[in-house]
Amino acid sequence: MAGVAAPAAPWRVPDSTPVAPGPGAAPAATPPLLHIDGIGKRFGALQALGDVSLSLRRGEVHGLLGENGAGKSTLCNIVFGIHAPDAGALSVDGAPYRPKDPADALRHRIAMVHQHFSLVDDLPVVDNLLLGQARGVLRRREYADRIADLSRRYGLGLEPFKRIDELTVGERQRVEIVKCLMREPRLLVLDEPTAVLLPEEIRSLLQLCRQVASEGCGIVLVTHKLAEIREVAQRATVLRGGRVVARSDAPDREIDDLVRAMIGRTAGERAGGAGSECSRATPAPAPANRPAADPALMLDGIGVRDADGVERVSNFTLTVEPGEIVAVAGVEGNGQSELGAVIAGMRPPTSGRWFVGGREVTRATPRELTQVGVGVVPEDRHAVGCVLEMSVAENLFLDQLHRYRRHGALDRTRLERDAADLMQRFDVRAKGPGAPFASLSGGNQQKAVLARELTRRPLRFLLAAHPTRGLDVGAVEAVYDHVRSARAQGVGVLLISSELDELLGVADRLVVMYRGRLMGTCPAEPAERERIGGWMAGHAA
Amino acid sequence: MKATLAAAVFAGSTLRLAAPLLLASTGELVSERAGVLNMSVEGMMLIGAFAGAVASWASGWPWLGLLCGMVAVLPVALLQAWLSIRLRANQIVTGIGINILALGATTLAYRALFGGRSRTEIPGLERWSPPGLGDLPLLGEQVFRQVPLLYVALALSVAVGWTLRRTAIGLAIHAAGAAPRAADTSGLPVEKIRYGAVLFAGAMSSLGGCFLSIGDIHTFTEGMTNGAGYLAIAAVIFGNWRAGRTALACLLFGGATALQFQLPATGIQVPNALLIMLPYLLALVAVAGVMGRQSPPAGLTLPFARH
Amino acid sequence: MNLPLAARFGGRQARAVGVSLAAVLGSAAVAAVLVATMGLSLADGVAAFADGAWGSAYALGASVNRALALALVGLGFIVAQRANLTNVGGEGQIAIGGMVAAAFALNPHVAALPLGLAFALPMLAAATAGAAWGALAGFLKARSGTNEVISTLLLSFIAVWMLYGSVQSPALLRQPMTSSSTLPESLPIPESTQLPLLGADLGLPLHVGLPVGIALALGVAWVLRRSVVGVQLRAIGLNPQAARRAGIRITAATVGVMAVAGAFGGLAGAMMLQGEQWVLKAGFSSGYGFDGLVVGLLARGSTIGVVAAAMLFGFLRSGGINMEMVAAVPTALVVVMQGLIIVAIAGASVAFEGRRAVP
Repeated sequence: MAGVAAPAAPWRVPDSTPVAPGPGAAPAATPPLLHIDGIGKRFGALQALGDVSLSLRRGEVHGLLGENGAGKSTLCNIVFGIHAPDAGALSVDGAPYRPKDPADALRHRIAMVHQHFSLVDDLPVVDNLLLGQARGVLRRREYADRIADLSRRYGLGLEPFKRIDELTVGERQRVEIVKCLMREPRLLVLDEPTAVLLPEEIRSLLQLCRQVASEGCGIVLVTHKLAEIREVAQRATVLRGGRVVARSDAPDREIDDLVRAMIGRTAGERAGGAGSECSRATPAPAPANRPAADPALMLDGIGVRDADGVERVSNFTLTVEPGEIVAVAGVEGNGQSELGAVIAGMRPPTSGRWFVGGREVTRATPRELTQVGVGVVPEDRHAVGCVLEMSVAENLFLDQLHRYRRHGALDRTRLERDAADLMQRFDVRAKGPGAPFASLSGGNQQKAVLARELTRRPLRFLLAAHPTRGLDVGAVEAVYDHVRSARAQGVGVLLISSELDELLGVADRLVVMYRGRLMGTCPAEPAERERIGGWMAGHAA
Repeated sequence: MKATLAAAVFAGSTLRLAAPLLLASTGELVSERAGVLNMSVEGMMLIGAFAGAVASWASGWPWLGLLCGMVAVLPVALLQAWLSIRLRANQIVTGIGINILALGATTLAYRALFGGRSRTEIPGLERWSPPGLGDLPLLGEQVFRQVPLLYVALALSVAVGWTLRRTAIGLAIHAAGAAPRAADTSGLPVEKIRYGAVLFAGAMSSLGGCFLSIGDIHTFTEGMTNGAGYLAIAAVIFGNWRAGRTALACLLFGGATALQFQLPATGIQVPNALLIMLPYLLALVAVAGVMGRQSPPAGLTLPFARH
Repeated sequence: MNLPLAARFGGRQARAVGVSLAAVLGSAAVAAVLVATMGLSLADGVAAFADGAWGSAYALGASVNRALALALVGLGFIVAQRANLTNVGGEGQIAIGGMVAAAFALNPHVAALPLGLAFALPMLAAATAGAAWGALAGFLKARSGTNEVISTLLLSFIAVWMLYGSVQSPALLRQPMTSSSTLPESLPIPESTQLPLLGADLGLPLHVGLPVGIALALGVAWVLRRSVVGVQLRAIGLNPQAARRAGIRITAATVGVMAVAGAFGGLAGAMMLQGEQWVLKAGFSSGYGFDGLVVGLLARGSTIGVVAAAMLFGFLRSGGINMEMVAAVPTALVVVMQGLIIVAIAGASVAFEGRRAVP
């Protein structure tokens, strides 16, 4: 019986794992319900999936774990026919399976519940369930009866004639699920189904999974919520950076190894241990003698509701002192993005207030925040942090272009000179300050964004959200060096990341964010790992 | 007595003037509900008018003209669909381009076929009235005796409205425009649906154009649509993308145009220009969101690509 | 120097120019085929075209004047396009400009102003009115998210009909009606309000509007290429979120560029009235607005492109008119060419620039 493999490299993937079948599963002789073999997929320069293999039996609930960007959704989309793989093959019940589009997948009785709901908001439930299934004149009443039957069978209450946009998020998801179940699928893919549910709704969903699986349907449960995996998955596969990094046939027992596989860097990738060395080398300087200084950042009961009405951040209260690095750890998707958006001034919080340097900035515009001294290194620099088609120089000074005005014209010479200077200080490698931003590597782009944010004057507070995502080791080093030097200058830093080792290496204090709430706070010491891991998995403090 | 006559004449004119708009806007409604903003309605109406007129003139059968009008528009509708759906070009720019192209092409072709004579009489559709209604005193003649295409327009408008609400294909069209991703993951062929919708809009626009040439004035004049296509689009916007309200908008616009002819007779002095621009003004007010929230299909003008 | 710019833009600009050129040549080829199928002499047609376009000093001047109006509309278009806004209301903005210019010019107080104010003031007023007309669409976009193409198009129709109405009524701009057959047009504007000619003795009908136009073209080129505002507009057009994060005011920019586009259109209307036509008639704008739109589209964002395309269409128009008069080739042929060019460029642009996606 195999678990997570060999201790020498704890995250190595075992070559072939004898399957421990779950209840209701088919005997080992029959071909697997779904067999994914060596799937690869690129999107432009990004290798979203590389050599991913996975096997699923009838009646099995298979957990697919991984961070955002690990490739889970891409894999599901390939199974469902939304994308075609570049390499590898799929088979269903032993027969080759090459879906051209979702209609194909549905014909093979493979159904998927999507992460972002795939419903038509301005139509009632019954219309949504009829979509793609009906022919000729719509017989709504009749269908409503069928829906009622199914609802009863699975305990999923639905009001057939209510409009989707009048439903709560949990109810919408029920619609999505019933929509899939009405097709009597043999394979059901659930993409992050519990992300938006309340605890009792989650329990019902998991119960539903068990019930559907016991009837012989295979289920792929995509999630980063470990508690759910533990409760209901018979096997689990962990994806990282598009590759399989761990498998388990007993996820409930091996949950901690799975967490580590999901979020830690492998031994090979941590050249010299990015975390451990450096922080010891430059210990946090004692905060300057300003006993009455206002906190760099104070969040007071911040709450954020998204467009669907789901509460993404709730009652978040946190203080960052000047000259302190506070890390917000947590698996992605627990409200970090929304929190970051509030701090960047891109959206106001739905509730609560927040202050920078003692000044209230709850409804401030990005410009006002910049003036007050907020620097932001956003998690998605391409969306909000930069304009790819413009030059490095223009990006570096996008918010200060008016300072380079000479008789109304842009003084490009001075702009590029200052840019070159900044680029040298922050080791941003490019063909020149005039090169298009898109031509820089990810690491250099990030360094450029840092350069811009860290050289603001005044700078009271810096938010860095997943600043090392997609960067090589050298770049990661450089990023944290800059963060530390900011701290040395008395800037308060909030670091949001799921790279726990890195955070432990650089932060002073650490808090964990889970489901939009602050789970606990502790000093950022490796000794606290157990506690932190527990918080990240949702165990109360 | 005179007032009733005037009212009857007004009603009849309103229906007559609204008919081409009704035809074209019903088609455009389907196209927009499916997610394609078909700016080339004007051009397609013109091509339909021209092709229908020529076919009718050549064969002597106005109903053949109608058929030929629709056939002639198909390649243009296909072009618009291909540009918008497959090439994902800017739907508005391509629409305007096609309108300009259609104007030039029909003018050129008309000159080539008929020379400088601008009023060649062509065999047209005879007026018709529903049995019974046509015999009503006063009203019968003025209101109900109309080019049969008007009744076709009314019937089609009702049919389309019913189809959109009550059938699977109507549901599919709605989803293709409102939530194409949802439609796709439900197994619906979004591209095919959009192509079909644009072709339908083309056929309807052609009928609208034929109404003008074969039905109404029994001739073709250069640029005879004169902005009717844009008015049809305005009617859809004003109608908030619902069949019933769009039809009402067409009647409203038709009435505004009818007023142009009737108001001077009654002695009320309203500048003609004001009445002509009224439909556009109303549409502008609607688009500005003044008359309550506009709810266009969320995917309108946005090409669909599976990511 | 500007080497980084050239290196950066070289590939894309070259492709864009290539697309425009191919579209123009392609449509010319189609036109030639059409002429042949109509049984007309291609040689005659081309000769008449050339004659009308640049055959005499007068013809040349007329072509340039037409190009001037088109260039102004095109310049306004590319300014708005920088911020990713599409102004389709050139026709209406010209109409508004013409009306306001006529109203001012026909006012005796204005006509009596010294020092060239008599012709400058109507132009200024026209530009301001056009700006307001454009700003309205910009405001609707910034406030309600109203698609600016639809709103500028609707406003365009409204303006054209306003013009029509204004020359129908003697209370407004119509000349005093001596009989029921008095033409619906305005009185000729007084000489002091007409734009002075540049080379009157040379037989060239070029007027003072030309240097104004050239100056504006240079100004637009400067703003788009070298000014801070130009860079900020570009940021808004490319990534409005990042621009917002950088503190650039999106609402002000939206209203502003649409106002500029409208102002240019209004000015074009004034120049058409005060420089050549001198009488305001219905159908005053007669397609110049849509032609200007085509010029803007062809230009692919470059000022030089606007000038080149405007010259092309200015010549096309003059040549086309003569082609019809002399060689019996209908001007509709030119219209067909324009349609083909728009469709070709819109269709091809996606292949070169990659477009947006879905909710």
